[in-house]
Amino acid sequence: MKNSWKMAGLLCGAVLLTACGNNGNGDAAGDSNGESTGGSGSGGVDLVINSFTDELAYPISVFEERHDVNIDLQIIPTENYVDTLRPALESGSGAPDIFTAEIVYLLDWIEQDYWTDLGEYEVEEWSDEYVEYVWELGRSQDGNMKALSWQTTPGGIFYRRSIAEEVFGTDDPDAMGEQFSTMEGLMEAGEMLADAGYRLFPDEGSISPFTMGSNPAPWVDEDDNLVMTEERLSYFDYARELRDNQYTALAPAWSPSWFASFNEPITYNAGWDDTDDVDDSDGTTEVFGVSLPSWGLPHVLKTDATETAGDWAVTNGPSSYFGGGTWIGIYEGSENKDLAFEFIQMLVHDEEFLTEWVTETGDVLSHTGIMEEVSEGYEDEFLGGQNHYEYFLAEAENIDPSHITRYDQRLDQMFGSAVGAYVEGDLDQDEALQEFYAEVQNAFPQINVPQD
Amino acid sequence: MQKNDNRAYWFIAPFVIVFLTFNIYPILLTFYYSVTNYTGMGGIDNADFIGLDNYRRLIQDDFFFQAFFNTIRIWGMNFAIQIIIAMLLALLFSDIRLKLKGVNAFRAMFFLPNIITIASVALLFSILLDWNFGSLNQMLLSLGLISRPINWLNNPVYAQGWVALIGAWMWFGNTFIILMAGISGIPKDFYEAAYIDGANWWDSFTKITIPQLKPILLYVFITSIIGGLQIFDLPMLLTDGRGAPRGSLNTMVLYLYNQGFSYANFGYSAAIAYGLFIITVVFSAVTFKTMYRGQVKLKRGGVKK
Repeated sequence: MKNSWKMAGLLCGAVLLTACGNNGNGDAAGDSNGESTGGSGSGGVDLVINSFTDELAYPISVFEERHDVNIDLQIIPTENYVDTLRPALESGSGAPDIFTAEIVYLLDWIEQDYWTDLGEYEVEEWSDEYVEYVWELGRSQDGNMKALSWQTTPGGIFYRRSIAEEVFGTDDPDAMGEQFSTMEGLMEAGEMLADAGYRLFPDEGSISPFTMGSNPAPWVDEDDNLVMTEERLSYFDYARELRDNQYTALAPAWSPSWFASFNEPITYNAGWDDTDDVDDSDGTTEVFGVSLPSWGLPHVLKTDATETAGDWAVTNGPSSYFGGGTWIGIYEGSENKDLAFEFIQMLVHDEEFLTEWVTETGDVLSHTGIMEEVSEGYEDEFLGGQNHYEYFLAEAENIDPSHITRYDQRLDQMFGSAVGAYVEGDLDQDEALQEFYAEVQNAFPQINVPQD
Repeated sequence: MQKNDNRAYWFIAPFVIVFLTFNIYPILLTFYYSVTNYTGMGGIDNADFIGLDNYRRLIQDDFFFQAFFNTIRIWGMNFAIQIIIAMLLALLFSDIRLKLKGVNAFRAMFFLPNIITIASVALLFSILLDWNFGSLNQMLLSLGLISRPINWLNNPVYAQGWVALIGAWMWFGNTFIILMAGISGIPKDFYEAAYIDGANWWDSFTKITIPQLKPILLYVFITSIIGGLQIFDLPMLLTDGRGAPRGSLNTMVLYLYNQGFSYANFGYSAAIAYGLFIITVVFSAVTFKTMYRGQVKLKRGGVKK
């Protein structure tokens, strides 16, 4: 009997503890609402912001200082972001006042009642000042502006100036861009580099944004048909060409060898005796370039290519593309929308703040007016004095928002795997295509895939 | 006496309430999801009731069957490696003739991999197994065992093998501890009597240890299969999260996750969850039936892979 009382006591204690834990959280959330309606500055939390990076930490500290408010930035790791936030948004309990979204699920989210329509704050007046595709991606199908973004993320080919000078006789981004403006030109460059003992790219994936060349098309058309143009299918052949002619260094994106390839010659499958004619005798090879979106410069190259700083430049590939990006909006059920909008206004539209912020981060802003001022006479040391802002802004204007669908990232990934299996020699092209179609059909039953 | 009877309900109330709220309610709600075409967005109220369509799709879904066989294969390899290593070690450390010292230190050491976060383990191994740069390939190359680097994680067979091996590495310590506990529960008299009667090592293993360990083995087997059928994190983190290379790491739970959260087929993913549930029940029942002899009392235990 004594023991059972002890047990019961323990159990009750445990239950109480957990209950308290929950209440604690609940209170915090409650406080944030209560305080904010009261409008008191210090003490409680006035705004809750959810995001998946700490990028917003600096803007938040500036905003807090300016408005004498308290903002709680809750960072949820990217892997868990959607799974953690979506239940809150769906149920309406525990949702933040402001939250961000990545391009991967942005187009799904703007169609839901997650973000409030920013139309009531007359943001439409700003639309001319922004890069078109970034602005339009935040618009839902019924025309409401749900989310805005402070950045734009066009991509390009980053390359090593010293190697360009040696192989092509020039390191000028415009001249190189001319060479890379078609897939044929790019392949030709690959051949010239291979002859000189270099590799064009670390891996075949580097050409995937470009294979559509001058004829881009959306992945899925208005009638939900999968669009397989000849240009899209040419990825198979180009990837095979790269592999067969050893234009790549077999260093898969984001792998340790991929990072190493920015700094030094990397081991190139030492032991492939039949490739000796182009190989250095020590079995290493040096990589010429890599295709990356604009954020790749501050977050990948500047942090990881320290040995080769100053030896880089960026130029265009056969087609314009963008990769990634973060959009931000106000939660539909937020009780503090006005203050939340103040914050977003500062984040995307405040000239003074943005000018200061962009010089700090090296990001490329979607606000063209501010960018033009910032880029005026700008020279980036890492890029050997090149003004990459100018390049990226011009690229951003080339991106056609009507070609972007909610399936893009998933389909790119699946198609990339199919091409990979083909290049590895595991499947022939037809098998790889059939496998890709089956996978698409399985993931998105609503899409019609081509039938033979 | 009458009063006391009622009081018991208060004692079990916390558990029952928690169980109903966090176990029974989600299970029933999942079933409701599985008969709709809910996408996970826009509220369940806006989803259409589509009857058993999701289940019809499930029993014809090649990807699901592939996931099932992948899961079984990975779990089978994992379990075989894990139980053999754990059993050998347990025998070694409990042998009354060897009397090895430092059991506790070894026990702690073997258990260590188990407490590393799975995300770190996945990162660690993806670097070790890297194609051109990985330490493993570098080592094999310089030892002259291979003439060119092996793309470990791009080959379906190797990839599955590695997941099984990493799983075994993480869990053999745990199994070892359980088996040790089981073996030390066997009365020493049995072994001494057998020794006096002239039994050799193999005889006492097969005639004493194995039969006496049966309840423990059953426990290890069942918890392992329940955990093994739910293997998710390692395949998810080791390659592209969709089962690369070529669908070989597409396990049932990974498939469920991708259908629900990556492809927004929430209703179908709920149906997969029920499929998985039925498979788990069948497997546990079969295991139980073949090994359970009526005299064994199972203790409740944690999930294990």
